Amino acid sequence: MNRREFGLLSATWLAAGLPTGLRADETCQSPYMPKITGHEEFVYVWTLGVEGMGDGQDKLVTVDVRPNSPTKGTVINSVSVGGRNEAHHGGFSADRRYFWAGGLDTNRIFIFDVHSDPSQPRLHKTIETFVEDSGGVVGPHTFFALPGRMLITGLSNSDDHGGRTALVEYNDDGDYLATYWMPTADDMRGAVAVDGAVADGYGYDIRALIRKNIMLTSSFTGWSNYMMDFGQMLQDPEAMQRFGNTIVQWDLHTRQPRKVFNVPGAPLEIRFPWGSNANYAFSSTALTSQLWLIYEDDAGEWQAKAVADIGNPADIPLPVDISIAADDQTLWVNSFMDGKTRLFDVSDPHNPKQVYEKVIGPQVNMVSQSWDGQRVYFTSSLLANWDKKGEDNAQYLKAYSWDGNELVEDFEIDFNALNLGRAHIMRFGSAALYA
Amino acid sequence: MRDNFLREGSEADQSVFLGLPTIEHPDDNPPSLAKLELGRKLFLDRRLSANGTMACATCHLPEQAFVNREMQTAVGVEGRSGRRNSPTLLNSAYLTTLFHDGREISLETQFIAPLLARNEMANPSIGYVIENLRSFEDYDGLFETAFGGSASIEKMGQALAVFQRSLVAGNSPFDQWYFGGNDDAVSNSVKNGFELFSGAAGCSNCHSLHQTHAMFTDNRFHNIGYGWMREQDRHKGERTVNVQVAPGVHYEVSSSVIESVGEGRQADLGRYEVTQNPKHLWQFRTPSLRNVGATAPYMHDGGLSTLADVIDFYDKGGARHALLSPWVRPLHLTAEDKDNLEAFLNSLTSENLDCLEVYARSGLIDGNRPQVAPSLGTTREP
Repeated sequence: MNRREFGLLSATWLAAGLPTGLRADETCQSPYMPKITGHEEFVYVWTLGVEGMGDGQDKLVTVDVRPNSPTKGTVINSVSVGGRNEAHHGGFSADRRYFWAGGLDTNRIFIFDVHSDPSQPRLHKTIETFVEDSGGVVGPHTFFALPGRMLITGLSNSDDHGGRTALVEYNDDGDYLATYWMPTADDMRGAVAVDGAVADGYGYDIRALIRKNIMLTSSFTGWSNYMMDFGQMLQDPEAMQRFGNTIVQWDLHTRQPRKVFNVPGAPLEIRFPWGSNANYAFSSTALTSQLWLIYEDDAGEWQAKAVADIGNPADIPLPVDISIAADDQTLWVNSFMDGKTRLFDVSDPHNPKQVYEKVIGPQVNMVSQSWDGQRVYFTSSLLANWDKKGEDNAQYLKAYSWDGNELVEDFEIDFNALNLGRAHIMRFGSAALYA
Repeated sequence: MRDNFLREGSEADQSVFLGLPTIEHPDDNPPSLAKLELGRKLFLDRRLSANGTMACATCHLPEQAFVNREMQTAVGVEGRSGRRNSPTLLNSAYLTTLFHDGREISLETQFIAPLLARNEMANPSIGYVIENLRSFEDYDGLFETAFGGSASIEKMGQALAVFQRSLVAGNSPFDQWYFGGNDDAVSNSVKNGFELFSGAAGCSNCHSLHQTHAMFTDNRFHNIGYGWMREQDRHKGERTVNVQVAPGVHYEVSSSVIESVGEGRQADLGRYEVTQNPKHLWQFRTPSLRNVGATAPYMHDGGLSTLADVIDFYDKGGARHALLSPWVRPLHLTAEDKDNLEAFLNSLTSENLDCLEVYARSGLIDGNRPQVAPSLGTTREP
């Protein structure tokens, strides 16, 4: 489905009186959860506290993005959680009433109530026992909603703080259910290595294609590296050997690993398209700066291949977050080191072409776009000890409009000036979800 | 007090002492099983750091010969950078000074520094740590059983010291040959390497041996030029660093790019920082070479990845400057010499490292340290 067909489909939904909310939600969410009807009203920013700045604590910051609100483009709420936990990623429960957010350092998981008053989330519950519950998993990263459950990827383990890790499952009440260790070369757990891939047991993101019963996980690095000063790590040959080089294909329902693909250079975010016949996913490798396609071939077998460079890989632009448009035709790719966002035409997923680029700031990390693709939001922080130093350590949320040709800035919030901290993942909220 | 405590196990257990001197326990801290188990529990306890993320074992990993092979210099609470490589705890019972700069003299008090250092475990005070310990239900009765009183800074140090003194590893192939008389225990390459080590190359001037045992350290401080060289490196202008981004994929990255995302390496003046004596600039404690093959990376800042790199450094005569130790000079080694030296160094690896890993993680079995049991040592989940 191309963008024009997608527009026609949206118009058809409108004419048929079907829910029209598919115009406005961000695209990179679990497909199980309800979508926002109308314009997104709030952007929740999971923000890292900075020692000596404000209260120094991690916090969930709420930004008003309601089009006609007198406080549009400003921070209207902030909930500090105590400590610096290496705030990183988060995700809504499948009923979208709660937002789960993790601390990669302290392993605390904060569950915010976002439905009682979406303009003012409040801390509902804190899980302090993630490591003990899971049998030694460290670094709760991606929170992927399943009906009644939350599947969480780890990044590390408590024994050696290396990259060996697992998937951990809780129910919506925050009760631990199960741990699924990632396959390793020594213990493949029933998976098969493809094309000489060496199963490293590392983890990062998780996404699923429900109708195919396919789940994919990617691989980053352990606590020792993601907490280390970035400059120190780049000069440490021991540390640089310890990044993930795999994507694992799982059986979604049984949580059984099936295949291990060789995807060298730390594949991070995974995004499936939304089309009913689109049997593929994209990922980007942080260190080798490539766009990868994980796809079902004509024989029904899933494969992985690099399909495009992102900038000049030798410059290590460090691609970080990616965001796929709801019509599956374009993909935003942020690269941290050069502060750029790039738009790739992925209408032919096997041959992506870059069609646009813009410098967002001295550093850029996360990107979230509305369902209609007309609004694109960016934040700045990668990891507390990986962010740039000095004046280049800009910390922000920037909102842009996208007309198909140019990003035009709508507003910017300076998180340094407001003593908030380092802005990381964004998620959209709306009172209309709970009306 | 002379050690008999750990020699009360089986014959196999006692064999770990081959090549080692007798352990001297302080008179006011005789070992006991209760202290040992308490010290082991403290060693593994992540709650003893400011934010509950780090234990002693986080930097001194039992699975990695009580070092961290996965980084050059240690990373502390909230990712704060250390300046130095984590030294092994193996055979720390025999050291007369502790830390690379020798600033501590007793295992009973050594633990205070990492507990409080801002870039290590970052606790606000020792009193805070003790108060926490007293509140942890799983410690109920443990201090009382071991010491006859509640948790205190002194008792905590004594328990940790008893545990560290139990991490004994001798009986290497070299020991079996040199002290045990088993001529087949090592290859001719090892023997030739040892001849060079203790002869023409002069390594044993500092990494010394005795007739009945060998710790391969004189427990003194020397300037081999490495610390001075690293300080010069720190002030070099624009340069490039070869960075591995994936197996077999390397890029040259400019130092300006690295500096844009890094705080930069701090100066390290070695023993001088303890004594303030200018003669002690860039001196560091001679490390024991026991199990050196299992404790990469090397030097006080982990800057050399392999034993071959270390041998090359010495072969070149270290790094010449005014304070260089007179023992360090160009060696003019052949390739065969270097191979032999490396073979000798690798022959210093003890056979009980797997056993100590299981012991440190899981504790005593029937009152004894576990025997060498590779099957136990390789089946644990992380």
